Amino acid sequence: MTNIWIVAVGAAGIENLVTTAQQIGGDLTAAVVGERAIADAVAASGVDKVVWFGDPGSAPLEAFSGPVGDAVAAARPDVVLVPARNADRAIAGAVAAKLAAPLYTMITDVATAAGVTTVTHSTFGGIAEETVKVTGPVVLVAEGGAVISGGSAPIETVDAAADTTLTVVESRPAEHAAVDLSKAKRIVSIGRGLKSKDDLALVEALASALGAEISCSRPLAEGVDWFSHDRYVGVTGQHVAPDLYLAIGISGQLQHVVGARGAGTIVVVNSDKDAPYFSECDYGIVGDLYTIVPAITEALK
Amino acid sequence: MKIVVAYKWAANPQDASVAPNGAVDWSRAKYAVSEYDPVAIELARQLADATGAELIGVSVGEKQVASPMAKKAALSRGLDKLVLVADDALAGAGPVKFGLVLAEVIKGIGDVDLVLAGDSSIDVGQQTVPAVIAGALGWPTVSQVTKVSGTAGDLTVERNFQGGSQVLKATGPVVLSAAADAVTPRVPGMKDILAAGKKPAEEVPYSAPQLGSAVEVTGQSKLTLKARKGHLIDAADPAAAATTLVGALKATINL
Repeated sequence: MTNIWIVAVGAAGIENLVTTAQQIGGDLTAAVVGERAIADAVAASGVDKVVWFGDPGSAPLEAFSGPVGDAVAAARPDVVLVPARNADRAIAGAVAAKLAAPLYTMITDVATAAGVTTVTHSTFGGIAEETVKVTGPVVLVAEGGAVISGGSAPIETVDAAADTTLTVVESRPAEHAAVDLSKAKRIVSIGRGLKSKDDLALVEALASALGAEISCSRPLAEGVDWFSHDRYVGVTGQHVAPDLYLAIGISGQLQHVVGARGAGTIVVVNSDKDAPYFSECDYGIVGDLYTIVPAITEALK
Repeated sequence: MKIVVAYKWAANPQDASVAPNGAVDWSRAKYAVSEYDPVAIELARQLADATGAELIGVSVGEKQVASPMAKKAALSRGLDKLVLVADDALAGAGPVKFGLVLAEVIKGIGDVDLVLAGDSSIDVGQQTVPAVIAGALGWPTVSQVTKVSGTAGDLTVERNFQGGSQVLKATGPVVLSAAADAVTPRVPGMKDILAAGKKPAEEVPYSAPQLGSAVEVTGQSKLTLKARKGHLIDAADPAAAATTLVGALKATINL
């Protein structure tokens, strides 16, 4: 029986991982770090068993990497599935280190037979693909997905000795609610082609006319700070799969493009005819976004 | 106080080419200190200046990690010295293997109080190595760090957290990965580059880590990407281009 573990830290969204685990087939245990409510939600999501590391109190969840790493390693798993979130990645590192097991992301296929797991994944940020046969444990990091319910699993509570050298002194909450672009059907994405933050109005007008969410390339969420970090699409940012992805003033660097490859239709607007994104678009317009974008908004009326 | 920055000597995959059989050719790509690592070096340099700490750069990889150019590029960014593992046996190593080898080097240095690393590597971008280093050392790890201050055994760390931020205290050694925009790194000037030539760089022999799994690569290929139409619309007349686009979208995706 293939022994599959899911790690969930501070959030119960693991639908994508549960689906993957069901495709692999086997026993599914979830190691949960966070409040009891998270353990309860994960127990209802289709796993066979939950191992909960107790109420964290005010401890940062990263403080549990030691006990979770030890517990998962002791269970001798075949496959460990981890959501692509910061706290989960911190703990995934401890799991991978204690197992001394390979870790893959951007997975397109996985199957386990007779203790050997075959994984197909993109390499080097998305330029190529590789298939590996892993004899022994393997750790896979992927988008966690939504919170789902319908199941009911027992919860075993572990008396975990979290690392007390790391504590939270102060918390400053977000000024606005987090944005989940993974569900957006239409996205208008803006890049460095935009000269000033004041010009965002013309992008907003287009997004409004399309009923679209707005996202950006990484430089607009870092350094210039025009968007919050949860609005940038890219290999280390949001991974989106809308029906329509309209990339404006984005040249198409690999690190960005990888985040939107799941889009049904990609439209690229860029003044540079040599912009790499034109070789990965469905429709491309070589032109000045300051005239093209308002023209598209107008054409939508 | 001893601070280590774990950095990577890497090239942008944008500059690599992929053969039809899937083999990745890096021969024409330009190697450099990985894009976000200088942010970690800058944060570490500022803390080292404030505390009088020794700032050690650690990197592992193939032979070129220890080339004169690579060493100079790293040292000129503000490190006091380097400890390197440069061995072609590390070709094709994944982030877990890199993390385990880096952890061994850090153990070998001894009495390290803090390890800093960049947000992600330019060539892989998995954001995994710092957490593996921490796991192997038995230390906690924090990512998305924007500020670090204090001294060994009493560090104050600020990090991005769920759209806002948190301030943490670390009373023991910790691995921190810096947010990509935590600070603007200094651009090495002539003085820094010349000084780099005089700073020590030590090489440690490669010792293969004990691995828990055997990995066999059974296939490599170019990515099988979704076929795209590649339909370029003439934009001599912006209004006409827009009408063409909207018409096509109405027809294909029911806009």
